[in-house]
Amino acid sequence: MATHALPHPTVTAPLAPRLTAGDELVKFVRTKPLGVAGGVVILGMIGVALFVQVLAPYDPYRADYTAQFARPSAEHWFGTDEFGRDVMTRIMYGARIALFVGFTASFAGCTVGAFLGVVSAYWGGKVDLLLERLMDVLLAFPQLILALAIASILGPAVQNVVIAVAIPIIPRAARVVRSTALSVKEHVYVEAVQALGATQPRVILQHIVPNVMAPYIIMVTAQLGSAILAEAALSYLGLGAAEPTPSWGLMLSGSAPSYAEKAPWIALFPGIAISLGVFGFNLLGDSLRDALDPKLRRG
Amino acid sequence: MATGIGRQRTLVTAVALAVLVGSLALALSAPVQAAETPRRGGVLLAAIGADPPSLDPHQESTFANIQLVAPLYSTLLQFDPLDSSKIIGDVGTEWKVSPDGLSVTVKVRQNIKFHDGSPLTSADVKASWDKIVFPPAGVRSTRKAHYKVVKAIEAPDASTVVFRLKHASASFVANLASPWNVVFPKKYLDTDPNHFKTNVVGSGPFKFKSYTRGSTFEGERNPDYFVKNRPYLDGYKFFISPETSVRSAAVRSGRAYIEFRGLPNSEVDAIRKQLGDKITVQEAPTPGWWAVSFNNRIKPFNDERVRKALTLAIDRYTMSKVLFPLTGLREVGALVRPGTEWAMSPAELEKFPGFGRDIEKSRAEARKLLAEAGYPNGLKFVMKNRNVKLPYQDFAVFFIHEWKKVGVEVENRPLETAAWFADGRDTGNFEAMVDPHVDFMDEPDLTLVDFISSSSTNWSRINDPQLDDLYERQSRTLDRAERKKLVNQMESIVLEKAYYAPGLWWVRSIVHWTKLKNWKAAPSHYSNQKLQDVWLAED
Repeated sequence: MATHALPHPTVTAPLAPRLTAGDELVKFVRTKPLGVAGGVVILGMIGVALFVQVLAPYDPYRADYTAQFARPSAEHWFGTDEFGRDVMTRIMYGARIALFVGFTASFAGCTVGAFLGVVSAYWGGKVDLLLERLMDVLLAFPQLILALAIASILGPAVQNVVIAVAIPIIPRAARVVRSTALSVKEHVYVEAVQALGATQPRVILQHIVPNVMAPYIIMVTAQLGSAILAEAALSYLGLGAAEPTPSWGLMLSGSAPSYAEKAPWIALFPGIAISLGVFGFNLLGDSLRDALDPKLRRG
Repeated sequence: MATGIGRQRTLVTAVALAVLVGSLALALSAPVQAAETPRRGGVLLAAIGADPPSLDPHQESTFANIQLVAPLYSTLLQFDPLDSSKIIGDVGTEWKVSPDGLSVTVKVRQNIKFHDGSPLTSADVKASWDKIVFPPAGVRSTRKAHYKVVKAIEAPDASTVVFRLKHASASFVANLASPWNVVFPKKYLDTDPNHFKTNVVGSGPFKFKSYTRGSTFEGERNPDYFVKNRPYLDGYKFFISPETSVRSAAVRSGRAYIEFRGLPNSEVDAIRKQLGDKITVQEAPTPGWWAVSFNNRIKPFNDERVRKALTLAIDRYTMSKVLFPLTGLREVGALVRPGTEWAMSPAELEKFPGFGRDIEKSRAEARKLLAEAGYPNGLKFVMKNRNVKLPYQDFAVFFIHEWKKVGVEVENRPLETAAWFADGRDTGNFEAMVDPHVDFMDEPDLTLVDFISSSSTNWSRINDPQLDDLYERQSRTLDRAERKKLVNQMESIVLEKAYYAPGLWWVRSIVHWTKLKNWKAAPSHYSNQKLQDVWLAED
């Protein structure tokens, strides 16, 4: 049997040079100025939270009974509260709780959600059906209402707030990750490694999980802002941190409603801190989504 | 003669002037009197600070219970709504103490009907009081220890109740007027003594209409109320919120005409500034104080040195200055209200741990005691608290800040009212607990009962035979000077052994719309809540 080579024209095209992490960062800074602004706010918050003991002018629990309701001044930039405690110091310490709850709740909720989403997509069938109905049940409740119900069962404490805020995030992350995992699962290379006899954990961990990281990261950053807001809301409703813990939501609920007329700074500055924190995370989350989502990438 | 005429003219002029002034006064006072004529109708709106654990006043000791249900019930005797120093009848019309002081006979008013239409007789009174004094197993009676003096309760006929006492008691008749001891229909108690935890059948001026937990409680006029032409109101509707600012805003906006428990002075000032003479403020020094109970049964609070260190660390005199404008807590005192006949003098008080004027010296002693007790670096514990802002949270914050100064780290853990009672009163599931004590009158039998081992209100779980003995003796002593000595002795032991850390005595500022008439703030926020004489000048 004669064989002959088919004419096989070789097509070559120059590959776009692979961008380094530094180049990606520069590109992000150039193309996403609002995301950068959000990032700066968050970096500022993280810096304050990490170095608060050095940066804060006072102890957050130091009560100066000679300076109750002191107006903002050189001594107390944001004024003092009803116990003469420095409002700025308490806001700086409050950043710790906001970030702790925001990061842990968002990370824990998204991680559990992503795991369930991948499992659901990969196994399909009854596992998928069961998990999806469970997610439907959780999604039937508005995020804050579900957090409120969980927090009221668990009782007021910071660790309970983390759980209460994390649980409503789970179904949202699970849905997003499942849909990506479903499409990844159908790719030829996944079928190829399965045909080569790769074990299920290997297929999931080495070939599916890396490909659902983009939506996972977007979810984590997108949920951070709402987690901070939920912490503030739960503390405001008396289901989060308890007095005298310096928590932004608690600062708004504790004395602010009673003394807002007499000393508006007690309500104003914690309100600004909450808004700024949520704004920062939302800006960064949106920009990261634009940058990481292939459908939204330009060029 | 001329002088006589002159005198006559002067006299006539004086009489004419007197008539003129009198007429003017009468003319001016006429509209005032007319305005003060009670008006029928209207619904009283009020803001209440919490939900009660249950609706049965015999079993509860929170304003959240009695303020909601008092208008629905009658009591045997009562404090005069317009003069709380006087005891008057309610279901009881007259009462007589036997010469030897060992029995009190009360005549029960006839023709009273419960809201279900059944007649109220002495059998109902006896059944209700038996439930309070001799509660059956499984039924809590919060104030049972107040009536240890009672040997038996008899109802020889439909209109007579006789209380047989173990010994003569100085406080018993006043205790019959307790606003908590409402009369229930016997037939329901016979089937279930806990029936009234979730049901209401009273004979009071108002009938139960509705209750939505965490939201509203409503009552409507009882047309068959046994006091003729009462009540004036068509009903009452109370809004429930534990948030002080919400209740304050309700008063400001007219969604509530009164907040019976009292608001902090800062809120009162703001409301007064906004509403001027549309509102009235009544100040009521109250037989009640806020304190911290240590669980004396568990470590480290079973160590007197630790307890003493914790009470020494509190600067009560500064606390008074700081907390009075924020919460209404003002008077530094021991276990009976300062300024009353039973109280020790300020000079005597200053000798006890935590009451000295030199706070730095006290703190140094506190640190030394903690080190001796094995806590040279301080200690940590959880202080449970009620999730009601006023004055619980600010009170706890002050204590926590003060303890921090001697190296003690305390976590404040607010609980919903029912959980707070369950952990504090019922099970003792706490290390330290914000524990107020509020009575309906200044009476050592009521005030000191928290410190005897057999009392259900002994949250601190104190078990000191000396205190039990002194309580019994003071209760039996009719000579007031002698009784004061025993009362002060009992206080001295509690303070010296630091079983309990007293805080401050309460002075309530009650704000109400001026159109709400004929309501006088009683010393206690438990009293004068029946509202039978209250009326509204306008809706």
